[in-house]
Amino acid sequence: MKKILYSSILIVAASPLFAQIPRTADGKPDLSGIWQALNTANVDIQDHAAQKGAPAGQSVVEGNEIPYQPWALAKKKDNYANRATLDPENKCYLPGVPRVTYIGLPFQIFQRPDLVTVLYEHAHANRYIYTNGTPHPKGPIEWWMGDSRGRWDGDTLVVDNVHFNDQTWFDHAGNFHSENLHVVERYSLLDRDHIDYRVTIEDPKVFTRPWNIDMVLYRHVEKNFQLLEYECYGFDLEQYYP
Amino acid sequence: MRFKSTLLVIAIGAGIIGSAFAAEADKAAWPQHTPDGQPKVEGFWLTVVYGMGCLQDPLAGVGCLKEGEEPGRGNRSRPKSASRIIDPPDGEIPYQPWARTKQQYYLSNYFEPTRPEFLDPQQLCLPLGPVRQLTWHDVHMLQYPGYVIFEHEGGHVFRLIPLDNRPHIGANLKLWMGDSRGHWEGNTLVVDVANNNSKGRLSRAGDFADDKLHVTERFEFLDADHMRYRAVFDDPSVYTRPWTFGFDMKRAIFGAENPTKDDAHYEQWEEACYEGMQPVDYSLRSERGEQK
Repeated sequence: MKKILYSSILIVAASPLFAQIPRTADGKPDLSGIWQALNTANVDIQDHAAQKGAPAGQSVVEGNEIPYQPWALAKKKDNYANRATLDPENKCYLPGVPRVTYIGLPFQIFQRPDLVTVLYEHAHANRYIYTNGTPHPKGPIEWWMGDSRGRWDGDTLVVDNVHFNDQTWFDHAGNFHSENLHVVERYSLLDRDHIDYRVTIEDPKVFTRPWNIDMVLYRHVEKNFQLLEYECYGFDLEQYYP
Repeated sequence: MRFKSTLLVIAIGAGIIGSAFAAEADKAAWPQHTPDGQPKVEGFWLTVVYGMGCLQDPLAGVGCLKEGEEPGRGNRSRPKSASRIIDPPDGEIPYQPWARTKQQYYLSNYFEPTRPEFLDPQQLCLPLGPVRQLTWHDVHMLQYPGYVIFEHEGGHVFRLIPLDNRPHIGANLKLWMGDSRGHWEGNTLVVDVANNNSKGRLSRAGDFADDKLHVTERFEFLDADHMRYRAVFDDPSVYTRPWTFGFDMKRAIFGAENPTKDDAHYEQWEEACYEGMQPVDYSLRSERGEQK
């Protein structure tokens, strides 16, 4: 019996999947590194044809459909029609979660047992994902980036996010939410250089049921690659501070 | 007609829920070290003397103007605060003559700004640059293997300091917070900051550098709760000689009215600054001094 058990462990340990996932000293998958989504979800998280300056892309929404309540679907359509002026990204505001993940710029994850720090090139956004067992602070609180508390579910980092404002969009196409937004992110290493990023969106004020986003995040492996800055200028500041 | 800079900022959800202390046990064994051998200095740090009105007397009003001269805040009845210009001995930035004229021009237009460039970029919630950012609110120093991270509460700006001797990015690539490379010399973190775009000014008084600026910082940790900061500014295009910007920092104590050392659960919460900005014109005055 023992022999069979040892053999099984050896088989698992020697499998390519196990070997390829880096782990921290405490045995958790090591997400440390610089990552980036390589898709067009920031343009539109649903299927979309190309427009000027916005390439075509396949949906990152599972099933493609977003279960809006009727009033919310009408608002989404209005947002879409006026997206050139209404998209909060045009004002360079903090983009919220999960949009900050796929807004098109790299981000760096730092990991230790009690805390995961994520620094984003976009607008110096940063997140504290506490993995020390602490609960969300008592609300109501309305933050642009919400409050993040994480835990490990096997080899998946599960991040629970609440306390958002209603000012951010999921994309440039006007997909939106209310201040009741609840986001659950799941980060699972597929191998050393790829993360499956699955997100559950819940907002009973806007949607009829929870829905999911799923995409792959890619590790930057270029030598000396590092985060730079994107201080976007919402007010054409470059002419004043050339 | 006072310049209502407070209207420029809506700090959304800047939160404090506790306090941060070095435990007594940490002090006894100070410094402990991180797994990758760094002296453990992690935590929240704050300048001992706060204020950005002028470098020579940070607690004074903008430009260190005397009572009666200043339309802004400032209180000259209190003792002078320590100058942030450590060297040269006269406590003045060694500007070249043209640069002094430019600084004075910015200062003279501070209170009634008629053009956007007269606004201190800080009032537009833009990053202050690597040095001045340390004087605005607290900084959370985090240590991960091979890195020191500064999470600045002011405007959610961060600075990433790799410790692996990698080269700086290309010389023509300029950044608001510069490009930092650090190493430890005993209990002193030495950081070389290149690639500064120097768009952030050094005070509200129009003090400035140019994008040829090179800064060498020394964060000398004296004990568990005290740190001495020195930054040598070298920019021959603006100054006649290198000069030193310096101040003392202390481990920050926040939170409850009567914090105890067991109450060490402070969290840095979001301070969205830019997100509350009004358009630039809102801050300007017409040539006749009226708010636009």
